[in-house]
Amino acid sequence: MFSKILIANRGEIALRVVRAAREMGIASVAVHSTADSDAMHVRMADESVCIGPPSGAQSYLSVPAIIAACEVTGAEAIHPGYGFLSENAGFVQVVQDHDLTFIGPTADHIRIMGDKITAKDTMKKLGVPCVPGSDGGVPTLDDAKRLGEEIGYPVIIKATAGGGGRGMKVAQNADEMEKAFLTARAEGKANFGNDEVYIEKYLTTPRHIEIQVFGDGKGRAVHLGERDCSLQRRHQKVFEEAPGPAISPEERAAIGKTCADAVARINYTGAGTIEFLYENGEFYFIEMNTRLQVEHPVTEAIFGVDLVREQIRVAAGMEMSFQQEDLTINGHSIEVRINAEKLPNFAPCPGRITQYHAPGGLGVRMDSALYDGYSIPPYYDSLIGKLIVHGRDRPEALARLNRALGELIVDGVDTTVPLFHALLQEEDVLSGGYNIHWLEHWLETNLGES
Amino acid sequence: MTKKNHDADVAFIQALAELLRENDLTELQVKRDYGADDSLNVRVSRHMQQQQVVSQIAAPAAPAAAAPAAPAPAAAPRAPAAAESSDDPAHHPGAVPSPMVGTVYMQAEPGAPAFITVGASVAEGDTLLIVEAMKTMNHIPAPRAGTVKRILVEDGAAVEFGTPLVILE
Repeated sequence: MFSKILIANRGEIALRVVRAAREMGIASVAVHSTADSDAMHVRMADESVCIGPPSGAQSYLSVPAIIAACEVTGAEAIHPGYGFLSENAGFVQVVQDHDLTFIGPTADHIRIMGDKITAKDTMKKLGVPCVPGSDGGVPTLDDAKRLGEEIGYPVIIKATAGGGGRGMKVAQNADEMEKAFLTARAEGKANFGNDEVYIEKYLTTPRHIEIQVFGDGKGRAVHLGERDCSLQRRHQKVFEEAPGPAISPEERAAIGKTCADAVARINYTGAGTIEFLYENGEFYFIEMNTRLQVEHPVTEAIFGVDLVREQIRVAAGMEMSFQQEDLTINGHSIEVRINAEKLPNFAPCPGRITQYHAPGGLGVRMDSALYDGYSIPPYYDSLIGKLIVHGRDRPEALARLNRALGELIVDGVDTTVPLFHALLQEEDVLSGGYNIHWLEHWLETNLGES
Repeated sequence: MTKKNHDADVAFIQALAELLRENDLTELQVKRDYGADDSLNVRVSRHMQQQQVVSQIAAPAAPAAAAPAAPAPAAAPRAPAAAESSDDPAHHPGAVPSPMVGTVYMQAEPGAPAFITVGASVAEGDTLLIVEAMKTMNHIPAPRAGTVKRILVEDGAAVEFGTPLVILE
């Protein structure tokens, strides 16, 4: 086992890793920019090293500075947290070249999953369900109509060279195919100088369901069920829960096994998340995140495991501490992301915290690096805390979330807490009857966002 | 590591000054509320080719204090009573901070003479010492000509970004 690890991150996730390390008897090294000299992760770690000026590019993203910090402190391994260098294959390579250990997957796995097309091809070969489509350009209208019947309507026709919504047309049925096909081709030609189009199944109201997997790098892997992260604003998750309210135990077991088998076959190491769109009982692969996720605590809550501890164990060459049959779901967990943002526009709101009080009591976990008098610097992410609740069932978890939100005090800056108070009044949130478009619609209606 | 809030403010002002330069703007004004009675007002402006940085910091009990113009807008503390003990070398005007984290070497190779000694005169650009990071030997040049008053680090010492290395006067 390592005797000292360095955490190449900041904020609540750096603190999260410090906590796991301390429980394992491993010394921790915090790195920080000049803007973070007073940050909680720096205060809590056993050692700290200032690695650069406020700009992330010159501090938390500076590979030479982070490697040098390992060298001067004698840290043997690096935990990247999420964001920053966590999915940078080049960084992982440099870490290995300096005889240090990266707490995470190999550079190759990060590279494969970091490229959308390679990732999809790889997952398809491993038996993971993907969005059915044409596998390349569709030359004629007859081909398009035949594909429409095969895949099943509605389908979306997309310009191969397209992007930003241009050159994309939906055909609800066979009658609409001709117009949609020709329009998408014409738009592709006009906008991108290329009229090649491809066709995919169009999902109207999918949910975002992601499967947590964990591999030992030696061909064994498990899944830890799903998280439903459908409540999103501009592709940013704001509210996550596990288990997913729409997923049956049979569906969970089946997709979970598919995912665990897939990552086992590529000898995947450590924590990973395979993201899907889910509609009408079918899963469609979107992407794989080769790192710890922000919302990992809801999975920890229902399975009673420490995923960061497990990451460190596996990186040190030890066995996983659990097998698939040890992993049973206990209750329900919800996380809400507390951002320093001012509603209704979600404008970042850095500044000084005049008073901070974390909620407590049974089944409440607050992962945050805030403290009284802390100044949130303007250079980084606006996430300032994650409130996670756990109950015996979903209604209990919702009631606990409501109670805990009422106890939370963050004075001095605006936060997203009022959003969650409002969402907990919504029938669709209470029943779990939402999809990936629900929050955008709700914000338009209630806050005038468009 | 300094534990003063004003570092963040100083960095913020520097970032604004950079924005101004990069985007070829002439003026930029920002007000940031830290709390009910604690705010930071910054106006950065630029005339012709010359850049001028003015910052005003308002606190209820203390009248607004104007910081000196560039190149050192840094010195204005947000709280009025932020006086550091005067012998802290980090705040010495002649301090040369480390531009990176790494290990200090006082000479080009083991057994070689040290680059500098106390009392020596250096010209701008002369190597003061080496900071090794990722097996790369980075020569740290004198930012200006002067006399070495103090050497604050030892051979083999680990330094952080910003650690004062020597005092040049």
